[in-house]
Amino acid sequence: MKSFRLACTVNGERVEREVVSSRSLLEFIREDLGLKGTKEGCGEGECGACMVLVDGKAVNSCLMMAVQLHGKDLVTIEGIKGKAGGLHPLQKTFMAEGAVQCGFCTPGLIVASEALLRRKPRATLEDIKLELTGNLCRCTGYEKVLSAVEKARDEKNA
Amino acid sequence: MPDIIVKPASLKELWKTLPGLPAARRYLAGGTDIVTADNAGVERSECWVDISDLPELAGVEETAAALVIGAGEKISGLERSAAVRRWCPVLVSAIPHFASPSLRNMATLGGNAGNASPCADGVCALVAEGAFVRLELKGKRRRLPLKDLFTGPKRTALRRDELITAFEVPKRRHAGAYLKLGPRSYFGISKAAVAVAAELERGAVKSASVALGSVAPVPLYAAGVSAWLAGRPLSAGTAVEAAARVKAEVSPITDARSEAEYRREMCGVLLERALLSLAR
Repeated sequence: MKSFRLACTVNGERVEREVVSSRSLLEFIREDLGLKGTKEGCGEGECGACMVLVDGKAVNSCLMMAVQLHGKDLVTIEGIKGKAGGLHPLQKTFMAEGAVQCGFCTPGLIVASEALLRRKPRATLEDIKLELTGNLCRCTGYEKVLSAVEKARDEKNA
Repeated sequence: MPDIIVKPASLKELWKTLPGLPAARRYLAGGTDIVTADNAGVERSECWVDISDLPELAGVEETAAALVIGAGEKISGLERSAAVRRWCPVLVSAIPHFASPSLRNMATLGGNAGNASPCADGVCALVAEGAFVRLELKGKRRRLPLKDLFTGPKRTALRRDELITAFEVPKRRHAGAYLKLGPRSYFGISKAAVAVAAELERGAVKSASVALGSVAPVPLYAAGVSAWLAGRPLSAGTAVEAAARVKAEVSPITDARSEAEYRREMCGVLLERALLSLAR
């Protein structure tokens, strides 16, 4: 129908609201929820700037419709936090390693890395490279991103 | 984006809902093709029917003779399935080359087949596996060899509103390989791809099926070279002659991704390598 009642969890909180059918998940996040951390890069699933977690899995929110979130759990970059509500370990290592330059791809990279480390806490460098094939960064050259994710992994396992 | 999206809770509800919907309608599964097409202004249906959470399309199930893969199962779910790893070596070999990890969390084999692109990695692998596709329209079911579903680029034998519900892969012990040549090692659309399934017996090929991507108007089942391989030793000589033969079966075009002659040549190279990888 032209709109529908969407019920889901967003960053740990129950959300229920009327949403226009033509909304993509990305538009729902940015325009309806006002969470601007999730970016639109290409709108084709190539760049990964729009990545969020749905039921714990990384997805490209530009290619999902809001209606497909019904009954599910959404975590955006705003919901990825450290234990006391401060910075998440990945956010700290991205800063420490200088893995952020313009910053546009960073939310997507952190979401994808978090999905990997939750699923595979001892991910190898090769695992990390493969997991991040869907995230484009035009500034860093990736080396610092890779070392930031490795550092977060090592801290997690220490 | 379409004005109207409906989300039936079951197949029964789907068949009941359809007659009341606008005529310009399409199914929405993982969204990775249809939403891209919409964002690019190519897809303009008035209505989408969201089938992504239909319980009837989910799951992987083993029957006595076949592995039945739900059309709505996510590609990443198949990656983790022990039954898929056991019975579908070609598909298992293709999955790492299917788009990117996050797109594999969204995309489905049903959508990959329904979109009917000649470059569809999942479909090519399943054609080599000898898969059948299960279709349903208002409760009426039929079953086709998957290779017969495709009639042209982005065209299928699907009737209006007919839904792909599952794929059946016959359970047989076989080896398999999927080799894809793209602009980079991972996450690219293929210039050419070769899928091979073969039943092996004492160093010889008992039966084989070869499918190719991006080198014909459809995901191509190479009937000639598949039949020729049966009964031959799995040797370097066989691989070289198979490579020469497959080049006569493909009909690649020159487009933005590659050139026809290069693609034809690469079909031979990839098939030779794929066959030799089975011998190891």
